[in-house]
Amino acid sequence: MPSPRWRKVLRDLWGNKTRTVLVVLSVAVGVFAVGMIANTQVILSRDLAQSYAATNPAHAILSIEPFDESLVRAVRNMPEVQEAQGGRSYWVRLKTGPNGWVNFQLFAISDYDDIQINKVWPESGAWPPQRREVLLERSSVGPTKAYVGDTVLVEIPNGQQRELRVAGLAHDLAQVPTAFWGGAYGYVTFDTLAWLDGPRTYNTLYITAAENAFDREQIGRIAERVRDRVERSGWTVYRMEIPEPGKHWADDVIQALLLVLGALGFLSLILSGFLVVNIVTALLAQQVRQIGIMKAVGARRDQIMGMYLTMVLIFGLLALILAVPLGALAARALIGYIAGLMNFDIVSSGIPPRVIALQAAVGVIVPLLAALYPVTVGTRITAREAISEYGLGKGRFGRGLTDRLVERVRGLPRPLLLSLRNTFRRKGRLALTLATLTLAGAIFIAVFSVRASLFYELDDVLEYLNYDIEVDFTQPYRIARIEREALRVPGVVGAEGWGFSIAHRRRGDGSESESIRILAPPVGTDMLQPTISEGRWLRPGDRRAIVVTTDLLQAEPDVKVGDEIVLRIGERDTTWQIVGVAGRVGVPFAYANYPHLARIVSSVGYAGVLVVKTEQDDAAFQSQVARALEERFKRVGLHVAATMTMGQIRATNIFQFNVLFAFLLIMAILLAVVGGLGLMGTMSLNVFERIREIGVMRAIGASDRAVLQVVIVESVIIGVLSWLLAAILALPLSKLLCDAIGVAFIQKPLTFTFSVDGVLMWLVVAVIVAALASFLPARNASRLTVREVLAYE
Amino acid sequence: MLGRWLNRSGSRTEAPTGSYQNGNEHLIEVREVVKTYETAAGPFSALKSVDLQVDTAEFVAVIGKSGSGKSTLVNMIAGIDRPTSGQVFVGDAAVHTLSEGQLAEWRGRNVGVIFQFFQLLPTLTAIENVMLPMDFCNMYSPQERQERAMYLLEQVEMAQHAHKLPSAVSGGEQQRVAIARALANSPPIVLADEPTGNLDSKTAEGVLQLFERLVEQGKTILMVTHDKDLSERVMRTILLADGEIVDQVVNNRTLQPFVPMQPKEPDSA
Repeated sequence: MPSPRWRKVLRDLWGNKTRTVLVVLSVAVGVFAVGMIANTQVILSRDLAQSYAATNPAHAILSIEPFDESLVRAVRNMPEVQEAQGGRSYWVRLKTGPNGWVNFQLFAISDYDDIQINKVWPESGAWPPQRREVLLERSSVGPTKAYVGDTVLVEIPNGQQRELRVAGLAHDLAQVPTAFWGGAYGYVTFDTLAWLDGPRTYNTLYITAAENAFDREQIGRIAERVRDRVERSGWTVYRMEIPEPGKHWADDVIQALLLVLGALGFLSLILSGFLVVNIVTALLAQQVRQIGIMKAVGARRDQIMGMYLTMVLIFGLLALILAVPLGALAARALIGYIAGLMNFDIVSSGIPPRVIALQAAVGVIVPLLAALYPVTVGTRITAREAISEYGLGKGRFGRGLTDRLVERVRGLPRPLLLSLRNTFRRKGRLALTLATLTLAGAIFIAVFSVRASLFYELDDVLEYLNYDIEVDFTQPYRIARIEREALRVPGVVGAEGWGFSIAHRRRGDGSESESIRILAPPVGTDMLQPTISEGRWLRPGDRRAIVVTTDLLQAEPDVKVGDEIVLRIGERDTTWQIVGVAGRVGVPFAYANYPHLARIVSSVGYAGVLVVKTEQDDAAFQSQVARALEERFKRVGLHVAATMTMGQIRATNIFQFNVLFAFLLIMAILLAVVGGLGLMGTMSLNVFERIREIGVMRAIGASDRAVLQVVIVESVIIGVLSWLLAAILALPLSKLLCDAIGVAFIQKPLTFTFSVDGVLMWLVVAVIVAALASFLPARNASRLTVREVLAYE
Repeated sequence: MLGRWLNRSGSRTEAPTGSYQNGNEHLIEVREVVKTYETAAGPFSALKSVDLQVDTAEFVAVIGKSGSGKSTLVNMIAGIDRPTSGQVFVGDAAVHTLSEGQLAEWRGRNVGVIFQFFQLLPTLTAIENVMLPMDFCNMYSPQERQERAMYLLEQVEMAQHAHKLPSAVSGGEQQRVAIARALANSPPIVLADEPTGNLDSKTAEGVLQLFERLVEQGKTILMVTHDKDLSERVMRTILLADGEIVDQVVNNRTLQPFVPMQPKEPDSA
């Protein structure tokens, strides 16, 4: 049986269940958030890395003009290459509804039972597919609405349509899931591909390095040797890609997301610490006399501190009991969602021990640290002070500047004045409560600001691309012809054929960059309105002049405006001068004047890309015109590889933004819950300390409703004050979050847009949270009878 | 009468067999103690150069009006408050030199304090309240604590209420529990601040009888009261007014003018 002092600790915990529940819940929310994020981070990182490694990902991918197995064998025999594999991707379109088509990337695989690199796994149904059958990538099922056993209609580049039977589902971890770009993936045999008018040759070479598989530079050198070997054998290498070794494409995004969420989770834990400070301070204030008595009967200060810190430790342990399993459950859900979104499977189960250790550490240390100051101060009181000074009248009003200001507020109904003045009685407590709610509110507003900034960024990019539809042809066509045909389509108000080429930068040390896309619009185009951050845009007389995007500068940090760089386009090395830097588009891009590029690639007067402006810029109209364009081109024998409307780009991006926003909002809501719990704690303490005053109010005729109103209004005043402060704090915080999210997801700070909607929304949330948080304490106060209050000590 | 439990002691101030370690001849020696409080209205002298000596097994009443400094004086002796100047010796301890931590432990072992408003911890039962000082001062084994607390409650006729919370018993009963708690570590000195102030006359009489029995057992009791009638029940009465000892009455004999008491022989206690 515990000794009397520990029994006192336990009874204090049990005796005030509301207080215990509030503190435990508050700490639990923080520990829950930290646990959820840490669990997610550990499990996702581990499982994603394992799943990715199991696919034996390619260390380098080379896009080459059509080649056959002999080249693959030759590359495979290179000593620095461990494995080489040829692949063929082929673009068709898949019909999803009466008027709906999606871009459908087909991969032809020679031997489904011997995939060595970028392994694709059978998911369900048949494996391998037979002739005229396709395996659908599992993430493509939703958007295509095609299921195993269905027959789908595809349109091949020459405009003909074929029916394919969906024989099964496959899982390909290397591909960006359909939801992120709107297209779909399928896997066929070369026989089927030939039936779809596709070639029986490869166009992609996948290699893995024999050594130093995680050294990107080393892999780069190997890839260059492979490229040289391929080119010496007579094939042209169009593009070379070296993914981050061992890192799945989604890893950076997931880590960045979890880092931001983790920071917010930790913040909620800190905020719950504020509540601990408030409640422990109040507890010690309430027990001052008991502390005095204990000192009078022989307790040392460290013994009393030990008692109160033990109580806080128990709060932490109770919070852990609640938060660890809930955090693990929530993490499972979050992991499942993210894994589903990113199209990979979770194989591990259970809670990682280090996450439990982390939760245990923060769940115990944060409340203890929070309680240390009030416990130290509260137990410092001498026995005499404790015994003689205890009494009511806590929360003096009328001494400070704030009090005098509030005192000047006149003309309000008495109960409202009482609520207003009560608000400022316990200034320390008010400050901590306001700090909690203000931070929660500022984060809430900042999350909305991130959303607004992301949308602004998107609009900026879409304005930059001042056209509505992009049509990619399977081969270059005469510009005059494609523009003429496009302009005949109702709704089209402008059309331009653009030159397009892939280039690689030849660096001073002889190495080559990854692929750079060069777009060549006609001189003086208004279909492109890039934001020039440095230098200038292209001028009509410019030759060998290029404007690069910030993405390219990030990929090639040694180049700057004014520099001359060597670009290998096809087989030719050409020298260009960088005249300007344009805003980001997501991948390394460069812009050149059409005539110059056309001469270099020997396609003067021809273009593979057509950009179109439509009469209206709404998504539905753009889709309608895009369909009309496709039909028109088909009729006149122009083969379209893909069309893309700005509405589609916008919708895909909005989907991604909303996923991010949803995660951030969940954390903001958790913070708001902590803030609400903090306010509830404050109001409970305020009511508890003013029981006698409430008794007096009752004695002089205050109704239940009046007492209820005084308490709720005080809480709402705190809520509104926190809103005001949150709106101010949200400005720098929003900027900070926008910068962090921007750097994490698009490698540059977002263009900051402050969300006024977020500010207004937080006002509504703050008032509702304040009213809800005070309801219980207010109801308790309104139920007190005069007799109970007079008997209270 | 209270038996061996009441007389059992740990390492603490013992009854005198000569002069104490600090040279004091009396169990309690208060020397020129001044206590000044800073108040909003300016400094307030609660005690003005007070000298007092109390010997073992004395039953002393400190009488005075409200604000006369009697509680302050008792607080000085208990180490609950510190003098602004002057010295307080209790047994072998120079109380005025002890730190807060040392004071707490010393007090727990050497002084039993009884308050006017009982001051039991509301969340502990009567027996737990009595065990608390033993717990804090690590006196007696856990099993002994339980037995001793029950024994003390029996002595104050509260054994039947041992497992009740303070709120479930009357004021007089709470004061009995408080007395049992004051005796928990068998301190040689009991300081009682208005112990009967909140009790009816019958209950107050019971408390006084209890004190008399304790004195018979060798305890030294210093009792603050504003009730002049109690002076007949004690061995000596000290009258305080405006922070000064203005009169002392020993066995109904008035000493005028006030002369500090001479050291007594140990066997006279």
